[in-house]
Parts: sequence; structure tokens; C-alpha cells
Amino acid sequence: MKARSSLKQEFLEKWRKGLQIGRNDSTILERKDAIKLSADVAIAATRNAATRWRRALLCDVVSKNPTNKHVVEQILGHKLKNTAATTRLTTACRRRILRRGQNYRRRKRNKRSRALRKLVPGGEEMDGVLLLQETLDYIVSLRAQVDVMRRLAAIT
Amino acid sequence: MLHCLNSSTSENCEMSVLERQRSRLKQQQQQLSQNHPPIPYFNGNDHLAYSGFHVDQALSDLVLNGGAMKPDPGVEHHDFRRFMNSGSATTDFQMSSALPRTVSYTAAASVNSAPGKESCKKRKADRSPKIAAEEKKMKGCAEEESKITEQNSNSKSTTTTISTSANKNSKGASANGKKASDAPKADYIHVRARRGQATDSHSLAERVRREKISERMKYLQDLVPGCNKVTGKAGMLDEIINYVQSLQRQVEFLSMKLAAINPRLDFDIESYILKEMFPACPPAMEPDHSHLQFNTSVEEVSGSGLEMVVDPMDATLRRTISAPITAQQSFLNSSSLNQIQQVTWEDELRNLYSMEYQQGRSTFISQQITGFLEANHVKLEM
Repeated sequence: MKARSSLKQEFLEKWRKGLQIGRNDSTILERKDAIKLSADVAIAATRNAATRWRRALLCDVVSKNPTNKHVVEQILGHKLKNTAATTRLTTACRRRILRRGQNYRRRKRNKRSRALRKLVPGGEEMDGVLLLQETLDYIVSLRAQVDVMRRLAAIT
Repeated sequence: MLHCLNSSTSENCEMSVLERQRSRLKQQQQQLSQNHPPIPYFNGNDHLAYSGFHVDQALSDLVLNGGAMKPDPGVEHHDFRRFMNSGSATTDFQMSSALPRTVSYTAAASVNSAPGKESCKKRKADRSPKIAAEEKKMKGCAEEESKITEQNSNSKSTTTTISTSANKNSKGASANGKKASDAPKADYIHVRARRGQATDSHSLAERVRREKISERMKYLQDLVPGCNKVTGKAGMLDEIINYVQSLQRQVEFLSMKLAAINPRLDFDIESYILKEMFPACPPAMEPDHSHLQFNTSVEEVSGSGLEMVVDPMDATLRRTISAPITAQQSFLNSSSLNQIQQVTWEDELRNLYSMEYQQGRSTFISQQITGFLEANHVKLEM
């Protein structure tokens, strides 16, 4: 229980940090995007931000809208590594993994596997074992995120 | 150890083949029980020096489980080769025999059984085309043996390990290299083949991978609700996919809700209150009037447990509603405030709902919105 609540607290702190960045949001959709962005980045920055889905999520966030970069940096507390470099790294990893998969296992990636890969950030480049591992961690983090957001929503 | 074997073989002339084999096996088993501390695999190298005729006999007994061995083990060496149908060189046979023999000493499983016999025969057939006579392979084999240790506490048969190592002789460096590349730098993946299963390196790697996958599926089963009823990877994957999807949609919906509630993005006050919910943190009371009324209700919610509610939104809404039953008065106060807030909020949400529907969002969100609206009506009624 202690571990779980510390995860949530950490998430909450980082989320607040992200939300404190002043943004000129008028419409509800813009606000919702800002909230969601901060929440996602915050949950990706918890623990040590080392797992693959976290990195993939942060890279996606920054690549979609470059202005998000300072949100990410504020939450992370340090400068994000050059995203171009990270994407290059991931493509190399991706190629390596795909090659390995083709040569050794030649398994057909069935529908479900593909569906799961789409859901988990960065899932396209993972092999079967790693995918399940990352899914596990991702589910735990998502649950914490949803729980905190729900409580906040219940209060206000 | 060898002298016992030698003595036994000298007596063998009069007994039948089977009896001889059985007696030899019994002796070896006794030796097994005596040599209780496991001999490291590296000792195989020492025994290579002694490899010879008698070792072949011992090996053949072990491998074939005292089964249908046609030529007399006390007879010439070439009979073995004929029988084994491998056409391999003597040295190779000795090599493959000596090392597995030491393997058998370290393992503690029983050797004699019918299924084991059948599997042994099968493996022998597998083994024969792959065997190649190399001095180099002996060394490679020895290295491999030193690395291969028991991973699981499976009490599986020794005979399988014998043929595992024998097969690994041929695949040797490649399989070992592959395993090393799979494993982290410091240690190796330790694999042991199981009884009655194929033992070439590819299938072993497959099995390792399958075991990893099944292990992770077990963890996921504990995590994802409703997975207990479904067995099999496909059904569970479906459940997992649904669950992840629903969690992501909940995040989406909740962020929408929070955006709707707060005209501006100020959450500092709420965060302090939220901290009260976590027992580790000291409470920070805010003098804000609108939130004082919520304090007790928040405590009630926290009292219901910090457990994550995993069901779809409707269930969780019911829970949050049921939680403040114990503190009705404070809740009535808060509900009046709710009323004011929710009028505007419901209107906004309805507008939003139409907007989003136009944008082609999924129906899930709309369901949640309507569900939440109903729930709020219930709240007000309370």
C-alpha cells in the first residue's frame, strides 16, 4: 500500500507542476488537452522513467507538438534528451528487434498482439515477452493515474 | 567411481544383458546417493581422460535406461557404434558419454522409467545426424557444461539432460552464443530440458521464451480483473486489451470532466485536500469555504479504502455515492453546493456531448457522461 500511495503522490506532484505552467486556454477542449497532457507526462515521469513505454510516450508527446517540450522538462526536472537522437535510437532498436524476430521466430503477429501494441505506447517495437512486461507496468501506472484523477474529480 | 564400474563389468560375462545393466545402474544410483554434494560440471573434463571402453558401457546404460540394447555391452567397441547407428568417431562418442555421465551424477532424479526410455530413443535418433567429432567441441562442450546449471527446481530426469548436453555438443558455440546474447551481460540463461521433450537449441530457446511469456501472463492475470475465468492466451489478451482501452478512455473522460469543472486550471487547492487522503501526508487545511464542506466527504471516500476501483465508471460512481452515506449531514451541505455547480456543469457537458459526438468520438464517452449525469441526479436526491 505504501508503494502505491507514493506512486500516486508522485504523480500528483508532477501533475500539479505541469498544470502550473500558464496557458491561455479558453475552450473546454483546450483545457482538457492541457490536463490530459500534464497527466500523461506526469505518469510517464514517475519512478525513474526508464521503461520503454514511458520513453515512447514522452517522445510522442514532444513530437506531436513541440511546444509541449517545456511541460515535459518542467515535470521531468531535467532537459529531455534530443528527441531526434532518441528516435534514431529507437529505429535502430526496432530494426534489430524485427530482424531478430524474423530470423529466429518467424511468428505471425496475430490480431490481438497488434491491437495491444497499438494501445501501449511504443508497442510496435517490442517483442512478445517485452510487450507483456511493459503492458504490466503500463496498466499499473494507468490505474494510479485514473484513481487520482477520479478522486480529484469527485472532490471538485 | 570408475573402479566400481570396472569391477562390475568383469562379472558380467555370466549374467544376461539386462541384468548386467540393472546392476550397473543400481551401483551408479548408490554412488549418486553417496556423492550427495553436487559435483560441478567441470569435473567432466577430468573424466575425459579416463574415457574408454567402460565409460561407453556406463553411458549406454544410462542413456538407454537399461532398455533394449541389443549388442552385449561387454563386447567390442564397434558394436556400440553399429548399434548407435551414428557413424561417429570413437572420441566423439566418448566425449558425449563422459560429460553426460557427470551430468547424471549431479542431478538427483530417477533414471528408470518407460517414458524416459522412449524419449531416449527418440533423442538418440535426433542426435545421430548432429554428432561431429572434434577436439575443439569437447572444450566448447566443457565450457557449456560449466555454465549450464539448474535453473528451476524441477526434478526432471537426468537422461534428458544427457541428451541435452549431447545435442549441445553439436550446436555448441552457436546455441551458447545465442543464449548469452539473450541473457544480460553478467549471467547466462540457464536452461534444462525437460523429460520427453525435444532438446535442440532452437526448441529450448522457444521453450524459455514461452515460459517467460506464461509467467508474465500470470502476473497480468492477477492485475486485470475478470481474467480468472478466462484461460488461454487469446482470451486473456482480449481482456487485457479491453482493460487498457477502458483505462485510457477513463483518463480521457476524467480530464474532460476536470476541464469542465474548472474554468481555469487551478488545482493547487484540491491537491492539498487530496494529500489528506493519503495517510502518510499531514493534512493541510484550506480556509476555502467551498471546500470545507467537502472535507468530511473526502475523508469518507478515503475511508472506503485506497483500493483502486477497477470496474467501469458506473460501478465506481456508485461507490463514491455510497461512501458518504455515513456522513449525511455534511453531504447534504455539500450537495447543495453540488447543485449549483452541477447545473452549469451538466449544461456544459451536454454541449460537450453534442460537440464530441459530432467529432466522431466513441460512444463510450457518451455513455459515461450520461451515466455520470444520472449518478449526479442520485446525489442530489440524497
